Amino acid sequence: MTEKPQPNRRTVLRATGATVLGTALAGCTDVLGSGDEDDDDVVLDPPKNYERRTDLDLPYPTYGEQVPSVSVPAPLHDQVMDTTEFVGDRHTMLTFIYTSCTTVCPGLTNALRHVQADSISEEYAEEMAFMPTTFDPEYDTADVLRSYGEDMGVDFTAGNWYFLRPENPEDAHEIVTDTFGVAFEQGDSSDDMGDGNGSSGGMDDMDHARHFTHLSLILLVNEDGFVERAYNGQPPSPDTAIEDARTLVERW
Amino acid sequence: MRRRDVLAGLGSLAVLGGGAAVAFDAVGQSQGDIEPVDVETLDAPGSDAGTATVPERGRVTFVELFATWCTVCQSMMPRVAEVHDAVGDEVQFLSVTNEPLGNTVTREDVVEWWADHGGEWTVAADTNLELTQRLDASGVPYAVVFDEDNHIVWQHRGRTTTETLETKIREQL
Repeated sequence: MTEKPQPNRRTVLRATGATVLGTALAGCTDVLGSGDEDDDDVVLDPPKNYERRTDLDLPYPTYGEQVPSVSVPAPLHDQVMDTTEFVGDRHTMLTFIYTSCTTVCPGLTNALRHVQADSISEEYAEEMAFMPTTFDPEYDTADVLRSYGEDMGVDFTAGNWYFLRPENPEDAHEIVTDTFGVAFEQGDSSDDMGDGNGSSGGMDDMDHARHFTHLSLILLVNEDGFVERAYNGQPPSPDTAIEDARTLVERW
Repeated sequence: MRRRDVLAGLGSLAVLGGGAAVAFDAVGQSQGDIEPVDVETLDAPGSDAGTATVPERGRVTFVELFATWCTVCQSMMPRVAEVHDAVGDEVQFLSVTNEPLGNTVTREDVVEWWADHGGEWTVAADTNLELTQRLDASGVPYAVVFDEDNHIVWQHRGRTTTETLETKIREQL
């Protein structure tokens, strides 16, 4: 999956194919009882397809693995933050987006935003931090990120939302792809058969034509810096994202 | 992690293989009947404040989940309006936002968005995400057609056409 960026749908299909192989090789293993040492680092139960996924060589950090550490500017906070900034302090949700995306990215940002809103209403906002990283720093300036956040309903007053922005496309590749395994590639919008638009062939109605194919990933990372959930493919539905975050906070 | 992620394709196939003739346009969705859910309806053009039970038994139901931040939802509004003009009298017809309300986005914001984009039918809020959860709706817009027995007969995430929507609803009438 790492050799080159894939559109989301293709990535999902490829993973599905690999899953069939994995199942054939591994059979129905009882992972819950396997005593995997990773289990000590996380409090959420393994994802439902965990036993199958362990056979995949996933490019991104997944359940039970440590979140990579890399420094990225947080332009709305005039500081450089590390992706492990909140280890020892808060649970973190990370995702990777570009703001002119109208297909899968709003769903990614929206999942974080739903959890943020829930963290505020259920009073665990101070136990969470949200770090969406743009991989399109050329377009996504600080102002664009702020306005995008406002459009998406992000609550900047909660003090737990940090947009991260690599300084240039080279840094974006190093941070997003090399460090987090989230491949992206700027391309032609005719490639856009991914999430959101279905098969109707509808193009984005945006007035600026920017298009990236990219792996879709949300990481829910616990306070110790271990991945509790890696949502790949379609974003989790809001209720799933909230339920997982609440469970993490409750069990911590 | 739910089956929608990696097993999405397989899951749908397996269910289709063993089940009724249900058409799915997207992957990873709930199937069959769902328990009706009460959603809060808003005082907006074409809509009265109150409660709606979705889906309504004994009647075909069309629901579109949306959010005010969603540009695709916005672009779908004229199409949904056309469909409403065509079949709105014959079915339970409503749009439901599942975004968090009350903090950065208020009910008033939704009503304003609704008026700005030509909404003229029932608009509601899935404030506790119950409907979203039962539909296993991973994104918006998310359109669902139920038959009279509350059975999901069609669902689609993302952009679609007026013709498709109208056809999927008319097939149940």
